[in-house]
Amino acid sequence: MANSGWLRLGLLTAGAAAAGSMWTMRRQQPNRDAAPVRTARNMRMFGDYLVAGATVTIQASPETITQAWQNSAELWAAMEYTPFPEGSQPGLLITPPELHARISQPLLLEIVTDKPDEVIAWRSGGDGQDDVHGRIRFHDNGSKGTAIEIIFAFKPEVLRTGLQTGAALLATVNAGLLRDLRRMKMLIETGEIATACNQRSAA
Amino acid sequence: MRAATFQGKGKIDVRHMPDPQIVNPRDAVIEVTSTAICGSDLHLYGGVIPGVEHDDILGHEFMGRVIEVGQGSTLTVGQRVVVPFTISCGACFQCEALRFSACDNTCPVENQEVAEQAFGYPLAGMFGFSGLTGGYPGGQAQYVRVPFSDVGPIVVPDDIPDDRLLFLSDILPTGWMAALNAEIEPGDTIAVWGCGPVGLFAILSAFRQHAGRVIAIDGVPGRLALAETLGAEPVNYHETDILEALKQMTGGVGPDAVIDAVGMEAHGFALDNVADTIKQKVGMGQDRAHVLRQAIMACRKGGRVSVPGVYGGKTDLFPMGALMQKGLQLRTGQTHVQRYTGELLEMIEQDEIDPSFLISHHLPLEEAATGYRNFRDNQDEWIKVVLQP
Repeated sequence: MANSGWLRLGLLTAGAAAAGSMWTMRRQQPNRDAAPVRTARNMRMFGDYLVAGATVTIQASPETITQAWQNSAELWAAMEYTPFPEGSQPGLLITPPELHARISQPLLLEIVTDKPDEVIAWRSGGDGQDDVHGRIRFHDNGSKGTAIEIIFAFKPEVLRTGLQTGAALLATVNAGLLRDLRRMKMLIETGEIATACNQRSAA
Repeated sequence: MRAATFQGKGKIDVRHMPDPQIVNPRDAVIEVTSTAICGSDLHLYGGVIPGVEHDDILGHEFMGRVIEVGQGSTLTVGQRVVVPFTISCGACFQCEALRFSACDNTCPVENQEVAEQAFGYPLAGMFGFSGLTGGYPGGQAQYVRVPFSDVGPIVVPDDIPDDRLLFLSDILPTGWMAALNAEIEPGDTIAVWGCGPVGLFAILSAFRQHAGRVIAIDGVPGRLALAETLGAEPVNYHETDILEALKQMTGGVGPDAVIDAVGMEAHGFALDNVADTIKQKVGMGQDRAHVLRQAIMACRKGGRVSVPGVYGGKTDLFPMGALMQKGLQLRTGQTHVQRYTGELLEMIEQDEIDPSFLISHHLPLEEAATGYRNFRDNQDEWIKVVLQP
């Protein structure tokens, strides 16, 4: 009898907790964030996609930054996750080594929007259609220069995760994109990418 | 080349390391003629700064002759230069605002994450000062690769000896900036904690910036005696209660500005310092901030707190209430060396200041371990050690 009383009390408590949770969730306000892209970058999943991104400010015009991204072989060699233009085939992007090593299926990245000084967007075509979206957007950051933001949205199955969880994969891509943009900033602002190596062979 | 390398907490060994090369266009390679052990090197030596690896070459105070330049360097082979300890690109938003030690572009990207996690943003590159500041090999060596050599190194005349110029690399501008951060008004009373090299230069700078009185606080008689020769009024913390002494000496008002030239390894047996020491030993904390707490408590209402002393971690029991309720201004930071070197070099050339007064020992580079040990353990006599490769 005593055991059955405890059981009833336990079930009652669990039921009350579940009902309370549902009531709280239903009462939640719609997302009023004025920057949905930022929200996407800070959510583990945005629909079916993981959304990674990074932002830096560079003392240069959007045109200069775009030209560096399109033409600098030194920059391309330093990229880990940011795709860059393929010279021989206009409108297509090449996946840099770190990203390429993680791709689990053939990926054809096509530029779908190119508004000079504003935004360049791409997405995957071919068999893995719409598995990957990305864009680079420019904002004027006053005397500090031009803020450049890269967004990279992908379905998790597009990248090999090994033993990584989705959150860890996202952190890896986030960090890689940030390193890419910071190398871009160094190259554009100073003409070189800083290294602590004392030997040319190690740099 | 031969270089003083870190081999674990309290262990320095001079070893053969590969000669540096020109790696980037703006690089230069310097043959070092003089290099000093800095008080902040002792933080590395003591193992309280994270990111130091075995075989890291230490040292961030050095000068020498240019022996090789990259195509983007503005230096020429044979020039004699003093090299600032902070590495600055000269082109980013921070450098353009003369905040050279906040440069965005000189910490290698692959080394930025540690500092970003610890401090919110990556730091500028510095020579010989752990992975936190880029992991650049330091200057306690025969040769050094100097990145962005068109921005950092100061070309100096041949007819002034190394001993008078060497400290332009760090501690002289650091003392100068500490005094500037104290925003001294003519006749002000300034209290300086720590009469090591930076503290002594802060005292010298405070007087040059028209302080009326400087009160020097330390526990080492030899260092207090040096401070006295600069015109400061010495107070030994082993013999007196500092807060009471400062109140008495300032007519109950308190110093107009206080300078913490000690940083994260405060000494003494105050209760909070003993607790900090235990936390540091067991890895629960990094900063022994007794001096900073005391300086904030001692400063007069509406005064200024300048902190040139190095802190690297989190500070417990920080007296935020005293800072806020008394309306204090707190200013700190790594030194923007290049901002001050021009005027300081001019003072040296005009014989207005002679920074060599604080050098107590010259040693060959091979005896770096002896220099480090004595600089840490025998502070009464070993005020400043200069190594010669």
